[in-house]
Amino acid sequence: MAMTVDLPALEQTAAPRAAPARWSRLARPALGLLVPVVLALGWELVVYLGYSNGRLVPPPSKVFQTIVELARSGELSRHVLATLWRVGAGFALGVIAGTIMGAISGYWDFAKRLLDPTVQALRAIPSLAWVPLFVLWLGIFETSKVALIAVGVFFPIYLGVMGAILSVDRKIVEVGRVFRLSGPAMIRRILLPAVLPAYVVALRVGLGLGWMFVVAAELIGASEGLGYLLLDGQQLGKPAQILAAIVIFAILGKLTDWLIEVAVAPLLRWQDAFGARGGA
Amino acid sequence: MLALKDVGKTYPNGVHALERFSAEISPGEIIAIIGGSGCGKSTLLRAIAGLDRASTGSVSLDNAVITSPHAKIGIIFQEPRLLPWLSVADNIGFGLADLSAEVRRERVASALARVGLTDKAAAWPRELSGGQAQRVAIARALVPQPEVLLLDEPFSALDAFTRRDLQDHLLDLWADTRPTLILVTHDVDEAVVLADRVLVMRPRPGRLFEEITINLARPRDRKSELFDTFKRRVLTALDRSLDRSVRDVTDKSSAGEAMWW
Repeated sequence: MAMTVDLPALEQTAAPRAAPARWSRLARPALGLLVPVVLALGWELVVYLGYSNGRLVPPPSKVFQTIVELARSGELSRHVLATLWRVGAGFALGVIAGTIMGAISGYWDFAKRLLDPTVQALRAIPSLAWVPLFVLWLGIFETSKVALIAVGVFFPIYLGVMGAILSVDRKIVEVGRVFRLSGPAMIRRILLPAVLPAYVVALRVGLGLGWMFVVAAELIGASEGLGYLLLDGQQLGKPAQILAAIVIFAILGKLTDWLIEVAVAPLLRWQDAFGARGGA
Repeated sequence: MLALKDVGKTYPNGVHALERFSAEISPGEIIAIIGGSGCGKSTLLRAIAGLDRASTGSVSLDNAVITSPHAKIGIIFQEPRLLPWLSVADNIGFGLADLSAEVRRERVASALARVGLTDKAAAWPRELSGGQAQRVAIARALVPQPEVLLLDEPFSALDAFTRRDLQDHLLDLWADTRPTLILVTHDVDEAVVLADRVLVMRPRPGRLFEEITINLARPRDRKSELFDTFKRRVLTALDRSLDRSVRDVTDKSSAGEAMWW
């Protein structure tokens, strides 16, 4: 029965997809660029034709020029590296702590009842509320910034890992029992692969929050970093510099997220959803 | 010899699922357990598999009491339960982790050929049809060469055509090493096609009601008159098992049973 229903549908979608495969591979991301590019060109034109002086909202060419200037003077790489380092360190710490705590709470019911209420209570605190305390405890330099980012990353990872372990299909675990897997083998051969898709989602959410918190951290008081560029631009009235920093944030955020996606794609090829998106 | 002695199961929530079930099953025998819903068929099978412990009585294989999953006992569930992150070949070899890679590859290859899925070796489980997935599950359970293979309504989710195909295929595979097969089913046709003995159970609490020996030569002709006669006998026993006015055919007490109706 299912075959007769599936076949015509398959033929319909397969035919147009096969022929212009190259076109669609290029066109799909291009389609996403259409709206921002049109907006940017439009604004460029508006300023060029003199309808706006573009002082508060500088045209794209000005923003681009600022980026080039920053790059040429070596400022850009200094700020980008400072920010990347903070996000990287905070993200790593948050992921390690979140994974360990989430795994313990998910795997061991007693630990969940012991720890989870406290973690959930801490989660309810807006993370930025920690800033004064972290500054008092850890100083205004790197440590407090990394700690703040790590706190932001920790919660989605913790929740993701715990939730993923708790929702592993009991029937699949039973297959492991039938084949008499030991505890470590059960974790390695059943739980880890079962948890991986949700873990990847948690990592990506965590990374997004990492980028969010680095801005907050760098606004606290930094002498370098993209957040510093933002603040500096505001205080010295340089909107082009603010926009340049925002654009670089967007590029870096997207790039690092894509890196995670690409890195785990081979491990998730088995997923139904992945195949359906036509990745490989 | 698989011996079930007064096996009973009461779940922690108080449900009395199975009461004093006894049977002796010889090596290579094919047993079908049939009965209405809630008659403890699956409970019994899980106790034999060692997945759940019986509350009373014991299950023993060659005098070894079964309390947890056992190397010589395999099970096939109603759904294939393939691991979605492993290829078909790796799913089949899942229970062979202790063997060397080379032996494992050989065994998996011959099992794949045996179930006719050699061309699907590298496929993901999601790419299989229901019947193919269940064949992989059968291969996975048979590859470690169990002495007892338990089947919990293994074909109930498949269409009639595929089901018949797989029943014949199962007998074919069974003939290779002749393990004991214990099949839980609610399909009378399936029970009569496959089994040497059909155990009819009755519900609340689940217990053995009647035992019917199917002494028909294999391969069995589903359209023969004798086949129909056996089917009728099983059907009659099933009807009677659900009729509370009929006392248990086995020697168990049915006092107070009428209170259920």
